Amino acid sequence: MINLKEPFKLALQSLLGSKLRTLLTTLGVVIGIAAVITLVSMGEGAKTYVLDQVRGWGMGANALEIHPGKAEMSMPELTLTYADTVAMKEHIPEIVYLVPEIIGKGRIKFGPTEYTPSFTIAVSADYPNAVSQKVTEGRFYSKAEEAGRKHVVVLGKTVANKLFGNSSAIGERIKINNIGFVVIGLLEEKGSMLTYDMDDMALIPTTVAENVLGKTKIIEIFLTIENEQLVPQAIKEITNLLVKRHKKEDFHIHTQQGMIDIINNILNALTGIVSAIAAISLLVGGIGIMNIMLVAVSERTREIGIRKAIGAKQRDIFMQFILEAVLITVVGAIIGIFIGTLAAWGIMAALKMKAVIAWQAAAIACFGALLVGTFFGVYPAMRAAALNPIDALRSDV
Amino acid sequence: MSSSKTKQPVVTVKEVKKIYRMGKMEVPALKGVSFSVEKGEFISIMGPSGCGKSTLMHIIGCLDRPTSGHVLLDDVDIDELDDNSLADIRNKKVGFVFQTFNLLPKLSAIENVELPLIYAGVGFEERRKKASELLDIVGLKERANHRPSELSGGQSQRVAIARSLANNPTIIMADEPTGNLDSKSGEEIIRLFNDLNSKGITLIMVTHDQEIGDSSKRIIRLKDGEIISDQLTGK
Repeated sequence: MINLKEPFKLALQSLLGSKLRTLLTTLGVVIGIAAVITLVSMGEGAKTYVLDQVRGWGMGANALEIHPGKAEMSMPELTLTYADTVAMKEHIPEIVYLVPEIIGKGRIKFGPTEYTPSFTIAVSADYPNAVSQKVTEGRFYSKAEEAGRKHVVVLGKTVANKLFGNSSAIGERIKINNIGFVVIGLLEEKGSMLTYDMDDMALIPTTVAENVLGKTKIIEIFLTIENEQLVPQAIKEITNLLVKRHKKEDFHIHTQQGMIDIINNILNALTGIVSAIAAISLLVGGIGIMNIMLVAVSERTREIGIRKAIGAKQRDIFMQFILEAVLITVVGAIIGIFIGTLAAWGIMAALKMKAVIAWQAAAIACFGALLVGTFFGVYPAMRAAALNPIDALRSDV
Repeated sequence: MSSSKTKQPVVTVKEVKKIYRMGKMEVPALKGVSFSVEKGEFISIMGPSGCGKSTLMHIIGCLDRPTSGHVLLDDVDIDELDDNSLADIRNKKVGFVFQTFNLLPKLSAIENVELPLIYAGVGFEERRKKASELLDIVGLKERANHRPSELSGGQSQRVAIARSLANNPTIIMADEPTGNLDSKSGEEIIRLFNDLNSKGITLIMVTHDQEIGDSSKRIIRLKDGEIISDQLTGK
């Protein structure tokens, strides 16, 4: 019988004939599938959440950061210089924005009020564009002002509040380390990141850093490359140029993609391990199917004998039993996906994250379950099919 | 109808031997049995328990294979057939009636009768119709939807007979068909067999009951795996 309708009906009949047993066997598959779906969906959700956070830090896919020293060194020698940045801008056409950062301490005075922000940072005029920093009031300094070593400053919200309270800061004259500056802009509030107050800073042109902060060493360089595709090429060119200038590779270059890759790898590994554990429960479910099918075969030996005596072929008997196993698996898988999805949503909602339903994982889990059901159904079905009709008829069971 | 020598035999049994192995011991159940059955015959195979009559019936009915010798069914040597072809013969050429009825308890009477038709690949409508006709023949049309547990022994055996007729078999094999029945039900079953035989259906029946045996046309007696007599009853 190539027609599957009759064996399908037979399988359904015998499954419904022992409801409790069918239910418990199905439960094994349901738990297995649900566990896989829940864990993978939660893993994907967590990954999306973490990556969104990383992207929120302001780097774009076409952004680079150059840090002095090898990546592993915590206190590197600061070897990057202003001349390096000038050379980069001159020789590497893919660079759109370049922002060297020189960080120092600036004691700010406004009349009788005095305040020292956490960071007084010398950056280039590209800064707002390179790190997507908006200026809410006034403006950022221009390239011309930077080149002209103008004493202009843009303040973070915290600094402005400390010095000016609620009154406007724009146009006010202040002193930084006793050197006169004009406040020309206020930075958009950034809040805090990793407990640092990102608004507790004052930005001044790179060109005045030496005078005001007494420093010329660059702590890091932000770069924006023309587009994402040119990033690998730009990295190569920058590396070549800096190695040529420094005679050694005493710096390292970060990309957003690099960070994302690392985080991705870690989270994928975690999801993989957890899913593998869940897959074990699927395997256990499959063994449950095999167990119950073996019981069914020996319980129904006489039935098999009768069916064979009246003309059932091995194939007919095999189909009947394998379809029982497959039916249990398919129904279990459908219920499992449903429960797994709900559980993933529920748990992630409680964690204030969003589950990403891993349809691929669901498909793989279902395929796996079907494989498990078929695999563990084959042996009992073969045993049933191979029974000698006479022996089966004589069976007292 | 009586056996006539001009007719083609439907079953030919030639030097059939069957030896069972019990560990290291060899137990011969049949020691070389030969006879032939012609169309329209009604044969009883009789003998004491252990004489090999059930074994012989299982071999003719393609449920078991002989250790040596040949069985020809409609001129086909069943020795040369694989398991699937044997299943096909059991389905289409042989109808079985067992002492213990062997109905499937979860199926209704009509579903039990339909079973051989399912394995023969007959579609639903057609097999419902045929099964219904067969239940009518055995007088159980109004019990079509009852389960075996709701039927008496005699009724169950009649359902089994209807089932054995489903694919218009060449021969009906009955193994002690009255063995589990009271004498009244037993008589009814034998009457049904006689009716079927008078319609041209060939029957082989195993029994140890002389009275039942006498109701057939020919009696083959077995003892210790050998035929000791083969006589017509004169019916």
